[in-house]
Amino acid sequence: MTAFQIPFGPQHPALEEPINFMFEVEEERVVNVTPRLGYIHRGIEKIGEGRTYLQNVYLAERICGICSFAHALCYTQAVEELLGVNIPERAKFIRTIMAEMERIQNHYLWLGFAAKEMGFETLFMYAWRDRETMLGVLEMISGKRVNYGMSTVGGVRRDITDTMKKDVEAKLNYLEKRAEYYRKVCTREQTVLERTVGVGILRPRDALNLCAVGPTLRASGIRRDVRADERYAAYGEAPFKVITYKNCDVASRIYVRIDEIFESIKIIRYALKNLPDGPFRVRAPPRVPEGEAVSIVEAPRGEDLHYVKSDGSEKPARWKVRAPTLANLPSLCKMLAGVNIADIPVVIAGIDPCIACAERVVLVDTKTRGRQVWTGEDLWRYANEWYRSR
Amino acid sequence: MSFLSQMKTELGGRIREISVQRDRRVSGRTGKKDLRATVRRLVELEGYSHLSTITAVDVGSEIVVIYHIVNREALLSLRVRVSEEDPVLPTIVDLIPGAALYEREVHDLFGINFEGNSDLSPILLPDGWPEGVYPLRKEWTSKRISRRLKRRR
Repeated sequence: MTAFQIPFGPQHPALEEPINFMFEVEEERVVNVTPRLGYIHRGIEKIGEGRTYLQNVYLAERICGICSFAHALCYTQAVEELLGVNIPERAKFIRTIMAEMERIQNHYLWLGFAAKEMGFETLFMYAWRDRETMLGVLEMISGKRVNYGMSTVGGVRRDITDTMKKDVEAKLNYLEKRAEYYRKVCTREQTVLERTVGVGILRPRDALNLCAVGPTLRASGIRRDVRADERYAAYGEAPFKVITYKNCDVASRIYVRIDEIFESIKIIRYALKNLPDGPFRVRAPPRVPEGEAVSIVEAPRGEDLHYVKSDGSEKPARWKVRAPTLANLPSLCKMLAGVNIADIPVVIAGIDPCIACAERVVLVDTKTRGRQVWTGEDLWRYANEWYRSR
Repeated sequence: MSFLSQMKTELGGRIREISVQRDRRVSGRTGKKDLRATVRRLVELEGYSHLSTITAVDVGSEIVVIYHIVNREALLSLRVRVSEEDPVLPTIVDLIPGAALYEREVHDLFGINFEGNSDLSPILLPDGWPEGVYPLRKEWTSKRISRRLKRRR
C-alpha cells in the first residue's frame, strides 16, 4: 500500500486563520492528521499586558473578524466582574441583541462557505447575499459592518432607537423566510445530502473526551450551550431552545446552525420587544482592584473563554483568551481520520474554522519521494470531480 | 450548593482553599502530586470532564497553572503552583484527551514540561524559536524578546 503525506495549508490570504494539516493517506483514506498552528500568532495576550483595560476592549474585538463582538463581550464581562460594576439592564439586552445578530451573520457566512466546499456555488452566493442584510442592520446600529465597537466596560456605546427597531423587524422577517428556504434546500437537495450525510463523524463520547464546543458539540447530540448554562447578559430572560442533532455528521452541523438562526431571531425579537428603559452605560473606574475573573460566552462557533488577572494597576497582569476553534481542533482531527481525501474540505468547513480553503497542497509519495504541488483550488476541483465521477 | 459539598467530601483531602467567587465560579488549589488523582476523580464525578482550557500565570518565582474545568453547575478553576527553576507537571492528556493542545500551548509560552505528554512540539511559536525564550513569562518583556530574536539573525 502506498502511503502518502499531504501537508494541507498553512495559509490563504483571504482567511483569518491559516493552519497546516499534515495528512497521512492510504489510497483514498486519511489515516492520521497532525495540525500545526501559529502562522498568525500575534501575541495579543502579551500586548494586552502593556495596554490599559479600556484599550484592551478594542484589542479583544480584533482577535477575530467574524465573532468580534463575542470576544469584546467576554472580555468586558470579565473586567466588569473584577470592578464589581453592575451594568444597566438596557445594556444587557443590547449586548444580547448584538451577540445574536453576530451569530446570524456568522451562520449565513458559514452556510455559504460550506456550500462552496461541497461545490454548490449557487447556495454559496445566495447565503452570502442574505448575510449582507444582517451586515446592513449591524452597520445601522453600530456604524460598522465588522468590529462594531459596541461593548465597553460598563455597558454599550450606542443605543438602539425605536426607528431602528422597525427596520430590524422587517429585516428579521426576511432572514427568517430565507432560513426556512435553506432548511428546505439542505434537507432535500441531493447535492447537499450526498456530500454531508454520514461524512466526518464525531461520536458523542469522542466529542466529550476531546472537549468540543458549540455547534460541533451540539451536532453530536450533546446539549451544552453557554448561553443556557451561564445565563449571562439577557439570556436568563429571553426564551430559546438549545438545538441538538444526533447524527454526528456534517449534515447535522448544518442543521444545528440553520435552526440556531431561528432561535437567534426569536431572541432578538424578544429582546427588542422587552428592551428596558434607562441608561445603557455606567461610568467605570480605570483602575481595577486586585483579583481574577473567568468569563465564558457562547460565540457563534462555541464556548469562548477570557481570563483576566489584575494586580491593582490600570493594566492587566494576565489576560488569557481561548477561542472556540482551538477547542474544536482535536475533534476535527478525529473527524478527519478515516474520511476520503475528497471529503477533507467539507469536513474542515464543518467546524467553521475559516481555514478550509488551503493555499497550497503538497502530495508526497513516500515510496518515490516524488512531490506534487497542488493549490487549494486543485484540491477543491479534485474533490468535486471525484464526486461527479462516482 | 450540592456540587460544592460533594466536591468537599470527594476531594477535600486533595483540593485545598476551595472558595466560591460568585454564582457558577469555584476555585481551588491542589499540589503537583495530587493533580492527576484530583483530575481523575473529577472526570469520574458527574460531568466534570469538559476542560475549557489551561491557563498559566507568572507570579514571580513561581508559575501558577490553572485548569478551567466546567460542568453544568459551575466552572472550577483548579490551580497548581510550580517553581520557575523546575517547571514540571504530570500530563492529564490520558485522563482528558482534549488537554493535548492546551498543554502544548502552555509549554510553548511558559516552558512548563508536562511529563508523560509525548508530543510537546511547538504549536503556536514558529519553528526555530530560540530555546529558553518563554514569551509570557514576565522576565521576557517584548523589548527583550525582540532583542533576542534580532541577535539570532
